Formats: sequence, structure tokens, C-alpha cells
Amino acid sequence: MLFVTDSRVKSQEVDTPTIHELQKGSEWRFEVAFGTSVEVKLLSGTAELFGTELALNQTYTFIGAKAAIYTWNGCRLEVSGTCQVEYTAEETPMISYSNTHFALENLRQSAVAENREGPRVLVVGPENAGKTSLVKILTAYATRMGRQPIVVNLDSREGMLSIPGSLTATAFSSIIDVEEGWGSSPTSGPSLVPIKLPLVYYYGLPSPEDNKKIYKPLATRLALSVSSRLMEDEAAKETGCLIDTPGAISQGKANYDVIQHVVSEFSVNVLLVLGSERLYSDMLRRFDGSKTSNDENITVIKLSKSGGCVDRDETFLKQARQAAIREYFFGEANRTLSPHTQQVDFGQLLIYKITEPNSLIASLMPGGEVEGDVPLFGKVEPSVLMQNCVLAILHADLGDSQEILRDASVMGFVYVADVDDKKRKLRILAPVSGRLPARPMVLGSWPEPALNLVG
Amino acid sequence: MSSGLASDEVAEDYKNSLEDLTFNSRWEISNLTVIAKENMDHALAISRVIENHIKSTPPNRKLPALYLLDSVAKNVGTPYTLFFGRNLYQTFMNAYSLVDGSVRRKLEEMLKTWKEPVPGSMNSRPVFPTEVTRSIDNALIKARTAAVQMQQQQARNDPLGRGRGVIPAQTPPIPFRNTPTPPVAGARYTPPQTTQVYVPQSNGNGNGITGIYGGSQPLNQQAYANPMSASNYQQPDGFEQPTGSIDSLHNDIANLIATTRNEFATNPYDEGIRQRLKALLDLQSILQSQQLPPDQLKLIKDQVAQLTPASFTPAPISTPIPPQPQPQPQPQPQPQQQQHQPSLQNMFPPNALAALLASTAASQQPAPPPVQLPVPVTQPPIPYTQSPSAPVQGITSPENSLLASLRAAGMLPAPSNNPAPPPPPPPLPAAPLPTTLPFQIPFPLPHISTPPNVHASPAQPCQGRVSNDVQMTSASLKISRPHLISLLYEGQPNQCASCGRRFLNTDEGKKKKAAHLDWHFKVNQRMVEAVKRGQNRSWYVDEMEWIKSRDDPDDLNAQSANGTHTNPSTTAVSLSTAMKKDPKMQYIPVPNDPALANVNCPICQEKFETVWHDQAQEWVWMDAVKIGGKVYHASCHAEASKDGAGIQRVATPEKVLGKRKAEASTRKHAACA
Ligand SMILES: [Zn+2]
Ligand SMILES: [Zn+2]
Repeated sequence: MLFVTDSRVKSQEVDTPTIHELQKGSEWRFEVAFGTSVEVKLLSGTAELFGTELALNQTYTFIGAKAAIYTWNGCRLEVSGTCQVEYTAEETPMISYSNTHFALENLRQSAVAENREGPRVLVVGPENAGKTSLVKILTAYATRMGRQPIVVNLDSREGMLSIPGSLTATAFSSIIDVEEGWGSSPTSGPSLVPIKLPLVYYYGLPSPEDNKKIYKPLATRLALSVSSRLMEDEAAKETGCLIDTPGAISQGKANYDVIQHVVSEFSVNVLLVLGSERLYSDMLRRFDGSKTSNDENITVIKLSKSGGCVDRDETFLKQARQAAIREYFFGEANRTLSPHTQQVDFGQLLIYKITEPNSLIASLMPGGEVEGDVPLFGKVEPSVLMQNCVLAILHADLGDSQEILRDASVMGFVYVADVDDKKRKLRILAPVSGRLPARPMVLGSWPEPALNLVG
Repeated sequence: MSSGLASDEVAEDYKNSLEDLTFNSRWEISNLTVIAKENMDHALAISRVIENHIKSTPPNRKLPALYLLDSVAKNVGTPYTLFFGRNLYQTFMNAYSLVDGSVRRKLEEMLKTWKEPVPGSMNSRPVFPTEVTRSIDNALIKARTAAVQMQQQQARNDPLGRGRGVIPAQTPPIPFRNTPTPPVAGARYTPPQTTQVYVPQSNGNGNGITGIYGGSQPLNQQAYANPMSASNYQQPDGFEQPTGSIDSLHNDIANLIATTRNEFATNPYDEGIRQRLKALLDLQSILQSQQLPPDQLKLIKDQVAQLTPASFTPAPISTPIPPQPQPQPQPQPQPQQQQHQPSLQNMFPPNALAALLASTAASQQPAPPPVQLPVPVTQPPIPYTQSPSAPVQGITSPENSLLASLRAAGMLPAPSNNPAPPPPPPPLPAAPLPTTLPFQIPFPLPHISTPPNVHASPAQPCQGRVSNDVQMTSASLKISRPHLISLLYEGQPNQCASCGRRFLNTDEGKKKKAAHLDWHFKVNQRMVEAVKRGQNRSWYVDEMEWIKSRDDPDDLNAQSANGTHTNPSTTAVSLSTAMKKDPKMQYIPVPNDPALANVNCPICQEKFETVWHDQAQEWVWMDAVKIGGKVYHASCHAEASKDGAGIQRVATPEKVLGKRKAEASTRKHAACA
């Protein structure tokens, strides 16, 4: 969530903690720059961050965050450290958001009664309308009611429990990490906040329109996995799924086919439209009164966007992407991970580049510029151009076809720390020690190269 | 199409134009329809303005305002129909309760056309969704039912005034105010013989193919000019007088009365039987004194069929009738005996509906006995005029409380516990008919999208106690519901101090919390060790593993009383004593040492199965045991040891392998569950 510029207030740069008294129904919105940290403690009352309740007298640390702490009943917060921006807002859409949750609860109850799948909810809206925040709130409320939603992220601009460029599905049955976005994927050690287990695919491009020939089949594949899980996992089936989407598919009719595709692949029966009257009426026209493949009515609902959302600046977003890559390998502030570097020969790796006609990298890649019936992937030799890039290791075999590569889920990511063209060697940073798995790797152009990940 | 103006400017303009809509002017209505069409981008704002106008305009201007709604809905369609549809029940019923009989018939006529496709349209869907119009139909029928009883009561209390009950049909409609003369403006409601008035398009009367405001078609006035007059009644097309069936109906009713009398004789204190007998007697007298139109007869027949024991059941009824329990009658004063025959004329006085709505919307109490209702009610009714901030009230609550009162009065069956959706409703009576039967109605309970609340899932025991009435509609989502929010807070009072997670205050909740605290404790213990050992990101699972994996929100597996966690990197750990006995449930963390990480089981030469272990919160090799620096499949090792042989003397690899593979899937399941 982001914030309105004209209400920005600089907090005084003192180390003595500030106390905020929040009236019920209000929220404290704050921004913390990357590189600085702010500690927040709930002294009394109740408070929640994107739907997840804060514990009393526990210190929560935020680094590089833009968030809001809302209170239904009023609360006192103690804040230490310097926020870039902070202010209290009285007007929030929380009533309609919470009601959306309870309306979904009713749908879930009738789904249980009729032995159907719980609601499949798609959230659409332009960039910076607060889609992810809404999905997070609905997820948190569902788990607080003992539900287990499958949360799907179709927005490759930002990752969910993985790096940007990825599309994921994750079952949420436990508390969401307050400090770290959605939390953390499994590591080899224990975790203070229960681990979330994502299923990860790699799209490797920022927007669905960059290559719909890959994006749509990936969405289909993801939907297939999710529906398989829903079929077998009783708790997930009762709850249904919540799907976050990139703003691009909601901005302009040219991409409505992607929405259509997702609605049909996931059998979406609740379409939540955030912050755009025009999109809402377009969605109504397209979907209202129509039915899903299993003959359920599709409901289209408009929700207003939070005043906390404004356009996020690219600098912050880029920092967030870099931070996500860093966290994948090195962990978060309170839990450091130890990735491993190793030298590999060019010949040891099988790397495919995602075809993307307009990309700078593609035009520079040998064989990258192709017209007409473009193959989905092109085999590429390691080169200096890959330096600082991330490669996705696929759950696939070396001889697999392009379609299999396209549909394969991701085993993990490695980072190309250095390329020595002369010696034909790469220095690779991998999350796990040991020999790199002999599996195909995919190079995308999203996220952009991460500089100086390894010294 | 877009005017480029902000919605509130457009709305303000439109609102001002509506002030001119003082009578049924075709020109005004078509003009306003065109404006609505040209400002589709502001459809939401415009529909709100129209709705508010219908609500706030005086009764004598409500009809033209509703005609405008009708025109926009039919000529512009979506998104207006969607916006109007959400509040249509409220908009319609609010107006209906405040206008006089002649306007009501026009509204009923208009309602009828909403159930049909737009004339001349390729789209076969009705103007408004059936659920919306059905809810209005149901409310009208229920209100009529109540009105009949009130009518009877009035007649009893005012025998001299019985002339009121036999006003000839030609009498001008009863004005809203209890004045002897109709309001002056009332004349305008009656469509004059000119083409200047707006007539709702309908498929039924054959006009309007080219759209309403181009039409100069003659008004089909005869169809509803005097529908109140039983003798002049025009049979709607498609209905046939069920000749011969009247007699059988009389017989059925007579039989029913006889049976019920006997029942009543043996159970003189059974209020339910007494009410039923009373209703049957009323019905009998109506049938004997009136000539009823066929659809009314059908309704009665259906009703009787439902009350009739199997042996009396007449010819098969085409109407699907939901299985209904007998009403659970509330003890309440009931009219003693019918003193006179109620007339079908004028059984639905305007004030009766208003009073009924007032009484039901005001509280959830059973409807007060009709005798206490002032006759006539002079002040305008309160219920359907509410603030715009709570629009949903008009859609759900009054409807529901109306139902509740009708139910309490024994006029509707008790809510069914059957979760199955109600069957489609039987055809409704022709709209202009102002009467119905003085007892329970064989209509399913209103649909709307209220999901059943009775089926609280075991996962959410807390919700069962609190009524969650939120529907997935914009209006419903806007209403603050603190009692629901408490489900997330006070409703789960048992809170974990370290992470804030809440649990129910039940035995199960306490158990879960204990397990949860245990989980915290173990994680904290292992954290210390993990810092020393170092940890890394694990590989992501593949599709199959993800599909098979199960989250364990309650950490129940972690609660092993004797589960002292020995050093996981050197010893095989088991989840509990019970699991210890099963070698396949033994696991070790995936070794960090690269030399060990790629080894195979020395016995069967197969790789180990890497699985995410929820309880251990790490990647493990299932069915694995580390002995003397080497890792074996626990089952291989057990198999080998059981034979009395050392681990060097190996069982046939194929045999063991086959066994392992067969069990692989179940094991994976168990490990993750
Ligand atoms: Zn806890
Ligand atoms: Zn073995």
C-alpha cells in the first residue's frame, strides 16, 4: 500500500519512541526506506497489518516497507525509528473489505453444505489499486477463521514467497508474517513464523502481454495444479482460492482476454474489481450473469481502493525486487541463510532464453531475434550478458520439449555472479550446496539483473 | 459516449431534469432515457439518482418515475439493469406501498413485463433477473395474504362499514389518504386516450417492437382497466377455466374441513389445527360466494392439494410444491368464527400493506393481531424510507422480518432445514389480481442470494453462533457489522502471546493452543542450534509434491509429550513413540554435507525421498536412518535386521524396492499430513 503525498508528515528524527493513539476504524500508514528500520509495538487495544493481528508488546521490525496498521477497536502503538512517511487515516475501505471476507465465508459454508468447491476469487484492478493488500487481508481473515485458502499470484512484477518473475500458488493455513510480506518459503532450518510452501513457475517477463504464448499456458498449468490440490485437500477445497493479478491485464481492453482466460481456467466465480469504475462496468458486461464451467454464477463486485494507495515510484519497486532476490539467497534480517558459490563450466549448463521479441537482451542474443512462428525458448550459450542475472532451474529433464519446459514448475533459482568468457567458466550462487542439479535452466529478462549480490 | 464530466456533475444535472417529470409524459421519459443512454459511463450515478427520486418524490409522481426506470432498463439495458436490479425490491416496494390501487395495478402490469425479455430484443433474458422479480412477487402475495385477514377483521369489527368491502369495481381506486375523493393529480395516472403517455413495453400486449418512444400504438387499456371486477374479468391468454375441477375442489375442501374438524375435536387446544380449520372455512366461503379467475383457483388447488392427505389428493398438480412442514403456530389471538363473507373486492387496501410493512419492519416480533391495527392508517409508513447509507436493509431485513412475522402468524411454513435449494416457484397469479388465500402460501421462501447459515463448518465453530448476513452485493458490503469483526477477535479469546494467533475458548481450542505453544517452544530451541549450524533456502517442491502436501495449521504433530528433539543432523528422529515403531515414518534432515547428500541407500541402491516435513519445519529424507555414518532406508534396515542378518547380508533389492515403491505414495501422504 502506498501513500498520498500531500498528507505526508516527516517524523522527527529522534530515538525516543513515539506513541500513536489510533481511534477505532482508523489506520496508521507508514513507509520505511530500504536500509533503515522502524520498530512497532502494540501497547494496548487490537491492531492488524493487512489483516494479520499483531501480538501485544511484541516488537515488529520493518525495513523497506510501505504498510498500514489498522484497528477495529482502537489501539496504542509505540513506534521507534524513522519513517519516511507516516500519518493516520480515518477513512479506509476496511468495512467493505471485511464484509467481502464474510460474504466469502457464507459462500464457503454453502459450498461445504453442497460439497462444492469454495469460492474462486479473482482480484483485478489497475496498478497500485491495492490488489495485493486486499488479497492479503482476505487471506489473513480466512486463516484466522480456521480456513486454508490457496493464494495464487499471477503478477510476475512482484513475487509472492519467491522472486519477481515467478507465478506461484500457496496454501495458507497459518499466520502470515507481519514483517516480511507473505513470509518465507522453506529453508533447511526452523522458522519462527510457520513456513509457507509455494508451488513456483517462472514466467521471466514483467507483463502478461510480453509473451501471452507463455503466460496463458502457464496460468493454465497453475490452475491445473490448484484444482488438483482443491480436489484432494479438504481444507483447501472448502475455502477455495484467492487470485492476485498484474495491473496490466486490467489496463486496456487489449488484455481482457487474459482476464477471460484466468476466469475460465480457475473457474472464477467471484470477481472483485478494485478502484476502477470503467473496468467494473467492462467486467459486468463481460461476466455478470454468466456461469462458470461447473455452472456457478459469476458475481462481479466493485470495491473502492484505499486512500493509502498511490502510484509507487520505480526506485522503490526496483529496490523491492532486488531485496526479494537477496532474501531468496541470503534470508531476512532475523534469519540469515548461507548460499553457496561454485565454478561451473559453460558446457555444464543447459540454458534456455525466453523468447521476447522486444527485449533488449533478446536482440543482443545470438539467435534471439526471430520473426514469424517463434519458438518459445531459444537455447543460449552462457555469456557476459548473463552476468548478474537469475536463472530458474526447472523440474524438467535435459531432453524435454519446449512445451514441457514452458509448463514445468521451478526447483529453485541460481544467480550468475561472474562470467569468464575466456576460461568459459561461470561463478554461480545457488541456495543449496552440492553439485548443481542436471536440469534445464531458463533465463528471462525479469527481474532485471541484480547488481552486487555477491561481493 | 462519455460526457467527460465527473459523475456527480452528471448526476446533479440529471436530478434537476427529473424535477420536470411530474406526470406520465412520454416525451419527458424518452428524453431522459436518451440522456441516460448517452451517459453510460455514469450509469451508476444516474441509476442512484433515479432510485432516490422514486423514493423521495410524492406518491402522485412515483408512477412516471418508475416508468422512467422501466424505459431505461428496457431501452438501454446493462449496466442500468444491474444497478437498478440490486435495489429493485426496495425501490418497487417502497413506491408500491405508498400509491393507490390504480397505480398499483400499473406497477403490477409493469412488473409483469420485467419478467419477460425486452420486446424485439435478440436477448432472451428477462428485463430483470428472475430472482429480483420473484422476490417482489413473493412480497406482494404475502402482503395480500395478510391483507385478506385484516380485511376480514375489519369487517368483523365494523359490521356497518361492510359497504366498504363491497364497493363496486367501477368505484375510483381507493386513494392513499383516506379521503373520499381521489387526489386531483390522480386523473393523470389513468392513461388518457392519447399517445403522449408512456406505456411499459411488454411482449404480452404485442406493442413496442420498435421501442417505446417511437410507438403510437393504441394502449391496451382494456386489459387492466377494470381487473377488479370479477364479472368483467378477462381471462389472460393461455389460461383455461378448469371446468369441472371446481366441483372436485369444493369436495376436496369439504373433505379437508371434515377431517380437520375431527382433528380439532380431539385436540381442542392445538392452535395449529384450529388455524388451519379457520383458514379452510374462510376458503370455503370465498369459493362459494365468488367466481374466481383460473389462476387463483389453481393457487387454491395447489394449496388444498398440499393440505389434503394422500387419499384426497386430486388430479396431479403440475405445480412443483416444496415439501413443507406444517407451520409452527405461535399462540396468538385468532378471530373466533367467520361472521361474514369477505369480498374479493378491495381486499388489499393501500394502508393495509403499509401497516403490515410498518409492523414487520419495526421489529422481529410476530405480527400484531390484526385487530389492533388502527383502521385506516393515516400516517405514511416508515419502513421503506431509510437513509441511503444503509441501502441493504430494504433488500433483506424487511423482507426477512416480513417473512418472520408471516411465519409467526402461521401464514408461512417454518424455515426448512433442508439445505437443498428451493424448487422453481409455481407460476404466479396474474398481476392485477388483488387477492389471495388467507393461509399459507405454497411458494418457496425468497431466494435472494442469502446462503444458508445453518451449516457452520466444524472448522469455524465460532461462526455458528453469530449470524452472518453479508451477501456478495455492493450494498451489503457497505454495512458495518461489528458483531462479525468480533469473530476475528473476542470470539476467539484464547490468544498466543508471542505471535498473536487466536484460538477458541473450547476444549479443542485449548488443545490447539497448547500444541501451538509447544511448537513455539521447539522452534525456539532449534533456532539456537540452527544459527550455529547455518541454514539455506531449500529447493521448491514439484507439482506432485505440492498437490499432495498438507498444511498443518494446528501443529498437532508437534505435540509429542516425549518428543525431546535429539540432534537431527546425526540421529534419526521420530515424531512420536507411536511413529517410532514404523520405520517408514523415520526421517533424517537432508544432510548438508554434499558428500552425503547424493548417496544412495547401501542396501537397495535407491535414492532417498526428499520431503518437506511440516512438523520438523525442514526438508527431510523419509524412511531414512543414519547408522555408523551411513544413511539407510529405515525399512531396508529393519527388513535386513529382522532376518536376523546383519546389514551386510542384504535382502533381495528388487523385493525391498518393490515394496517401497508400492508404499511410497501413502508414506508421502502420511508424512505431510
Ligand atoms: Zn503463537
Ligand atoms: Zn533402501
